[in-house]
Amino acid sequence: MNNMGVFFALLGAVLAALLSGIGSAKGVGMAGQAAAGVCTEDPSKFSKVLILQLLPGTQGIYGLLIAFLTMTQIGIMGGSANISLVKGLLYFAACLPMIIVGPISAIHQARTAVASIEMVAKKPDQFGKAMIFPAMVETYAILALLISILAIFGISGLKM
Amino acid sequence: MAVLPMKRVLICALNQDRKPILEQLQRQGVVQIEDSALEDDIFTKQDRSEAQTAFRKNADMAARALAVLDKYAPQKKDLKTLMNGRRKMPVKVYEEHVQKRDQTMQVCRKILSLEKERAENAAALPKLKTQMVALESWLSYDLPLDYDGTKATTVFAGTLPSAVTLENIYRQLAEDAPQAEKVDVQIISTSQVQTCIFVVCSNSDAAAVQDALRRRNFSKPPATSVNPAEAMKELQQKSQQLQSTSVELEKQLKENAVNRKEIEFAVDYYHMRADKYEVIGRLSQSKRTFVLQGYIPAKNAQRLENWLESQFDVIVEYTEPGEKDDIPILLQNNGFAEAVEPVVESYSLPGKGEMDPSMLVACSYYILFGMMLSDAAYGLIMLIGSGIALKKLKDMSEGLRKTLKMFFFCGISTTVFGFLFGSFFGDAVNVIATTFFNRPDIRLPALWFEPLNRPMKMLVFCFAVGILHLFVGLGAKFYMYVKNGEIWDGICDVIFWYMMVGGAIAFLLSLPQFTSMMGLTFTLSAQAGKIVGMIALAGMFGIILTGGRESRNWGKRILKGLYGVYGITGYLSDILSYSRLLALGLATSVIATVFNKMGSMLGNSVGGVIVFIVVFIIGHTMNLAINALGAYVHTNRLEFVEFFGKFYDGGGRPFEPFAVHTKYYKIEEDDSE
Repeated sequence: MNNMGVFFALLGAVLAALLSGIGSAKGVGMAGQAAAGVCTEDPSKFSKVLILQLLPGTQGIYGLLIAFLTMTQIGIMGGSANISLVKGLLYFAACLPMIIVGPISAIHQARTAVASIEMVAKKPDQFGKAMIFPAMVETYAILALLISILAIFGISGLKM
Repeated sequence: MAVLPMKRVLICALNQDRKPILEQLQRQGVVQIEDSALEDDIFTKQDRSEAQTAFRKNADMAARALAVLDKYAPQKKDLKTLMNGRRKMPVKVYEEHVQKRDQTMQVCRKILSLEKERAENAAALPKLKTQMVALESWLSYDLPLDYDGTKATTVFAGTLPSAVTLENIYRQLAEDAPQAEKVDVQIISTSQVQTCIFVVCSNSDAAAVQDALRRRNFSKPPATSVNPAEAMKELQQKSQQLQSTSVELEKQLKENAVNRKEIEFAVDYYHMRADKYEVIGRLSQSKRTFVLQGYIPAKNAQRLENWLESQFDVIVEYTEPGEKDDIPILLQNNGFAEAVEPVVESYSLPGKGEMDPSMLVACSYYILFGMMLSDAAYGLIMLIGSGIALKKLKDMSEGLRKTLKMFFFCGISTTVFGFLFGSFFGDAVNVIATTFFNRPDIRLPALWFEPLNRPMKMLVFCFAVGILHLFVGLGAKFYMYVKNGEIWDGICDVIFWYMMVGGAIAFLLSLPQFTSMMGLTFTLSAQAGKIVGMIALAGMFGIILTGGRESRNWGKRILKGLYGVYGITGYLSDILSYSRLLALGLATSVIATVFNKMGSMLGNSVGGVIVFIVVFIIGHTMNLAINALGAYVHTNRLEFVEFFGKFYDGGGRPFEPFAVHTKYYKIEEDDSE
């Protein structure tokens, strides 16, 4: 049982990449449909709506980041993958903010992005404002990312 | 760095000079013309919407003709022409083109009618195709399909659904029309979906046979007055003719591409005229004079006056805008700050009495962007890319030039932070040295520290930058209060907050628990802690007493003040918001690291090198694109929400001068006034 540590740590890492990736894929997909709709009417808005479409994509990257950090810390990417059960569970806990907040914020950000795309379709000059609304949602993904990062680095310093 | 001062301008001139004056004003593009308020028995406004519509219609027609030309004779569009924007046109050429405008419109009409003909042609072709397909199964039938027989016999051709054999047809006829004796049926062709038959019977049996066949869903063929083979030939000829006409029409359309420049000019010209007529509708006119009112930047005022008075009998009058006037806003900054003007504009232009925040935004924008992207190589790519574009492309639009400039400065800052944090394509230097040269000791040393190894230190640095940014914002608010002579409001709304927030932060720094948690190397002494704590409390009481100073009622006032103090939670979340600097900075370097690692997985071999190069190029391009976008969006957010939230409301109206708003050509005055 004691060598289950690495399993839980990897589970956390993989879930962070997996769920955030799903969330972002769904989010970028939703925004992409709206963006394509706008482009059929007015192809010149392509660059603007593309930026808005990409906004919910960052959660997937944050998930990847957490997964990668965890995997390097526990030695999956080269090195001895030998950590205690407690430490493994701690890594799992450290990944939780990203696992949970990542996908949820991605989808909510996507809804805001869709609304912003509609806004740009009607008023292209209000692009600056339209960009800020989805960015507000992303704040919480960033905060989750931050706590996950700090926790992962914190755990690696512990002797357990 | 400021909002340009504006003057109200009133120009009164003779109607006979109206055309040249307006044309020159349009080319100079310095006056924003407002609806004239002057309307009485003598001065009236003219409704020129009809002429305006006619011009817009012409412009629209020319634009449609251009779209047709683009379809048949597409223009090569490389990045350079795209970025360069409008072409220059000397006034002389302009005049020549104006002379030819009616001819050009003729050409447009012709292009559109050719295109219409071609479209009708193209639509006719598939119709012929279906007719030909329908005839194909009748080719071996040598009578016209509508042939109805001789004196004594009736002939009819037609199709039965699905494949049927001759015996079946005879059997069915015998069942359904037993009285008919003299019937001859021939099968012309059979396919899976239909059988084409030809029936001869005596006139007396015709009705019964037809009835019997109809019950089997017999249907008439496409009628032709000649036999199918000939009909087919005709159709083929027709379709060939159609095709060759189409080719001919396309050729003619392509030939018209030589007129592209004239047509582009026509689009511009008619838009310009329409704009002018819109302006005429805003003027107050009497029998012989007209009055024009508007705004002009003060710096252009003298020149306009001199220029108008030297050429025309005209009165130009300038007045300072009054308190109630909604003055349009035009920003002017030096090269460093003007680059962020589009960012400020995309939020909102400064409202009444507000300062132009461009300089403050510029200073912080570049720093925040650099911290988020924080990779020296990415910074250099941005720097060089935007630098080359700025140097090579001279004719691009003003907005694009400013944005490129902004990325240029952001690139510089990104490079600086990249070296400070020891990131060059992530850890590429170390990975390449280790994998291919077996020298794991070579790495790009961080000039300051590596955030990946010491995230806590980086976090504290981010918060420090954030606090500084917010305090600069507060300072700007104080400056605006002082400028408007409201020093007491400045003290209440800014100084007390400085005391409370600054004191509270300093007080935290005197607590050993806090400094050790943050990993700081210093702790303020308890003595100092007491003093700053007192300052914070003094600030707090100041806010409680004055936060609701607009209320007369003291009870209400204190309550409002208490609610004001609650605003400190806003500061907490504002400061925490700057942690995104750390998160996005780490995201760049970690993802770069991931790609480097992926690339180096095959080790030191020929295949390994190839894989490394491919992964490196694709991976880093993607990383740069996504993280530059992230840095852009989140820098904007920090500026708009955290920074502007402290002092800036905006709401100004942009200065939109009556000018030449063309798409293709920029008309240049040859006399450089």
